[in-house]
Amino acid sequence: MYKYVLKRLLMLIPVILGVSFLVFFIMSLAPGDPARTILGETAPIESVMALREELGLNDPVIVRYVNYMADLLHGDLGESYKTGQPVISEILSRFPATLTLAFWGMLFAVVLSIPIGIISATKQYSIMDRVSMVFALLGVATPNFWLGLMLIIGFSLNLKWFPSGGNDGWSSLVLPVITLGTGCMASITRITRSSMLEVIRQDYIRTAKAKGVNKKAVIYKHALKNALIPVVTVVGLQFGSLLGGAVLTESVFSWPGVGTFLVNSIKAQDTPAVLGCVIVFCICFSIVNLVVDILYAYIDPRIKSKYK
Amino acid sequence: MAKTTTVQKKRSMASEIWRRLRRDKLAMLGLAILVILALMAIFADVIADYDTKVITQNISNRLQEPSLEHWCGTDEFGRDIFARLVHGSRVSLVVGLVSVTISLVLGGTLGSIAGYYGGKVDNVIMRIMDIFLAVPSILLAMTIVAALGTSLFNVMLAIGISGIPGYARIIRASVMSIKDQEFVEASRAIGAKSPTTIFREILPNCLAPIIVQATLSVASAILSTASLSFIGLGVQPPDPEWGAMLSGGRNYLRDALHLTLFPGLAIVITILALNLLGDGLRDALDPRLKQ
Amino acid sequence: MEDKKYTVDIKNLSVRYETSDGIVEAVNGVDLKIERGKTLGLVGETGAGKTTTALSILRLIPNPPGKITGGVIELQGKNVFDYSEEEMESIRGDQVSMIFQDPMTSLNPVMTVGDQIAEEIQLHNKKMDKKQALEKAKEMLEMVGIPGNRAGEYPHQFSGGMKQRVVIAMALVCNPDLLIADEPTTALDVTIQAQVLDLMQKLKEQYNTSMLMITHDLGIVAEVCDEVSIMYAGRVVEHGTLEDIFEHTSHPYTEGLFNSLPDIEHREEELKPIPGLMPDPTNLPEGCPFHPRCSYCTELCKTRRPVETRLSDTHTVACLAYEEGTGVSLGGKLHE
Repeated sequence: MYKYVLKRLLMLIPVILGVSFLVFFIMSLAPGDPARTILGETAPIESVMALREELGLNDPVIVRYVNYMADLLHGDLGESYKTGQPVISEILSRFPATLTLAFWGMLFAVVLSIPIGIISATKQYSIMDRVSMVFALLGVATPNFWLGLMLIIGFSLNLKWFPSGGNDGWSSLVLPVITLGTGCMASITRITRSSMLEVIRQDYIRTAKAKGVNKKAVIYKHALKNALIPVVTVVGLQFGSLLGGAVLTESVFSWPGVGTFLVNSIKAQDTPAVLGCVIVFCICFSIVNLVVDILYAYIDPRIKSKYK
Repeated sequence: MAKTTTVQKKRSMASEIWRRLRRDKLAMLGLAILVILALMAIFADVIADYDTKVITQNISNRLQEPSLEHWCGTDEFGRDIFARLVHGSRVSLVVGLVSVTISLVLGGTLGSIAGYYGGKVDNVIMRIMDIFLAVPSILLAMTIVAALGTSLFNVMLAIGISGIPGYARIIRASVMSIKDQEFVEASRAIGAKSPTTIFREILPNCLAPIIVQATLSVASAILSTASLSFIGLGVQPPDPEWGAMLSGGRNYLRDALHLTLFPGLAIVITILALNLLGDGLRDALDPRLKQ
Repeated sequence: MEDKKYTVDIKNLSVRYETSDGIVEAVNGVDLKIERGKTLGLVGETGAGKTTTALSILRLIPNPPGKITGGVIELQGKNVFDYSEEEMESIRGDQVSMIFQDPMTSLNPVMTVGDQIAEEIQLHNKKMDKKQALEKAKEMLEMVGIPGNRAGEYPHQFSGGMKQRVVIAMALVCNPDLLIADEPTTALDVTIQAQVLDLMQKLKEQYNTSMLMITHDLGIVAEVCDEVSIMYAGRVVEHGTLEDIFEHTSHPYTEGLFNSLPDIEHREEELKPIPGLMPDPTNLPEGCPFHPRCSYCTELCKTRRPVETRLSDTHTVACLAYEEGTGVSLGGKLHE
């Protein structure tokens, strides 16, 4: 197990290198001159050229990438073109807000979806099953930014239960968390149900029943652990869309997080800031996937024994 | 002789799938909605003239509630929302189809090559795909749009590229499972060249998972486009895109709900229809999975 | 309890599956009895209703789509259809246990084999704690030839034959009155088959367990069974002792089963497979269900359903040729 974790940790390094190169390369395709953006339209050409040299913009992409990564190892993501502040501190100051949102969003999704999926599967075609499947279908189809706007209209503007934006105590967290978590919840409910339905048709479930295991224990002791294997995979994948969704949710609720910063940086053509945000998001996603893989091995002994 | 029987077999398989699909009421509902949407997109100019109704501002007419004259009301610039929704369906469907085609062609090619040749080629391609997969797709699309600029074509390209690894994986898996089966060996034994083998024998046989994935990813492409436009990184005003329309309506949540309600419903209904059809197709193509 | 002659006594059992493609009459009025300590072989092609009959004893027919529509199943003289679900749970694995066909899929992949056996012990011996149960599970594993220290391993770490041994250990650990074995060796290599059969035979004798052996392999029947029922399209078409069936084969279908076996002593003889396939279970033919494939078929066979005819104290057959005044003849080729 320890070996497996170590191996997965080591595999993280090439992925992060690859991802940062990919993002760096894409951003280097951007037209326009950052030096010109920083100095403004009226600046003399000489100072623009000097700044280009200073920023290393005249070097080939690969050289700039190596320099960038060397700085990254020291926790330096460069300086924002717009504010002149170190990107890393801009991100770190906003990171807790995004993390709070993502954590509660995921928790909301997982805590509700898995029990609903299990009950739907064990009572297939019941009213409860049908109702939750309709909601799951709608949940998957509803864009979270639109859901956010509708929640604001209903619960903020009309009922005045929760604020419509900002980050100010738990009540300001409610609507963004529902907005962010609903899509994931719907997807996880669907996969839990279908995985559970698949598992309860398996031979070993029949064996358990033939042993005299009662209905509840068949579901919760024998079926659930097997059914959770694909669910865990989907939870990991959903975290990716959760991070993407966080960008939109933050935008809807003026949530002061990394997502809002990213969108503003893109609009301002602030390349170092965009690069920093995307890389931070990707590192988070990779770490979550690492945790998922470890969890996976914990649930499924067939994977664990491969690395013994 | 042998050829006619395969053709017949394929035809009867398609009709068998269609028979199973027809029994699935939800899938049929999805299909019906999509047909209506497609007709709306095709005949958008007949329903409402683009220049006079969709983009021409008419401030004296702004923020009107839904009425017989304006079925979904008018927006903050006095434009008819229904007309804009109809033309928006054109944008959404085009983005969906074009970006999925990009993912399918590029991802399919990479996946077939990886699956067919295996070994080092496979390893290199799939490690690169892993790196793409490590970037959440909407973020990848945002990054690409941020670099290339916000135009409809760049949005399609960005969403198309972010879909490549998904297809590469599916097609690689299908190709690997099929390439060792006897009919492929047979075609190689009679001297068919590798690319011919891939296209003639293998790809038609892994159509099922591709069709399902394509249907579902048209849905996510439409959703991604709307998301990008909503935060101002996608289709730019005054072009009528559903996400962009929502974004415009944000400032009038209190007074003019219809500005956000109708474009949102349009997105929900379209995605729902595609998902229903995709689920139905999956069941129809692989009846073993149906519960 | 002990004075009952039959461990299990099935009378007139009928089971149907209601599917979207139509109603499948899987079992139609089956009678089976097994005496204490004896083995009954239930033989027939895939789809004849053997497994459905067996699952009915445990009341494990998946419902929906399955439904028991008639009959009585008595375990130690008591009808299982009168029990509550909780009572049934205490019977399953304790009084009656079952070995399934495919050992590769019949063990839970995420539980250790020791835990899977111990769970059953604890279910039926409430006084035992986890540790004692695990100890007993290890003993049972030793008994089927698996080192006790492998109890902490997962199913995927065992070979197919070893898994079936685990399944057997699980089935016998509570010393059941009746062991149902549903083609227990079909999924195994030929060399392993004999070992597994020997092991089952040995343990069965040791515990004086009755056994219902479901198989399509007449070789296995000859080796382990005392009595045989031949099933076709949800009906028992012939029943008798091993000798009745092997030496006095009476039903054309039973004859067909023997003819499709290779005979090692007469290798030059051609195999004579039974022509045709099992009838569509949603649309069984009128008259004798076997008539479309029977080489002795007459017009009467197509309309009149044969009833059970007693040939001796132990031997019954359902074929019009043995019923008085039908004029159906098997041409003297078969016994009787």
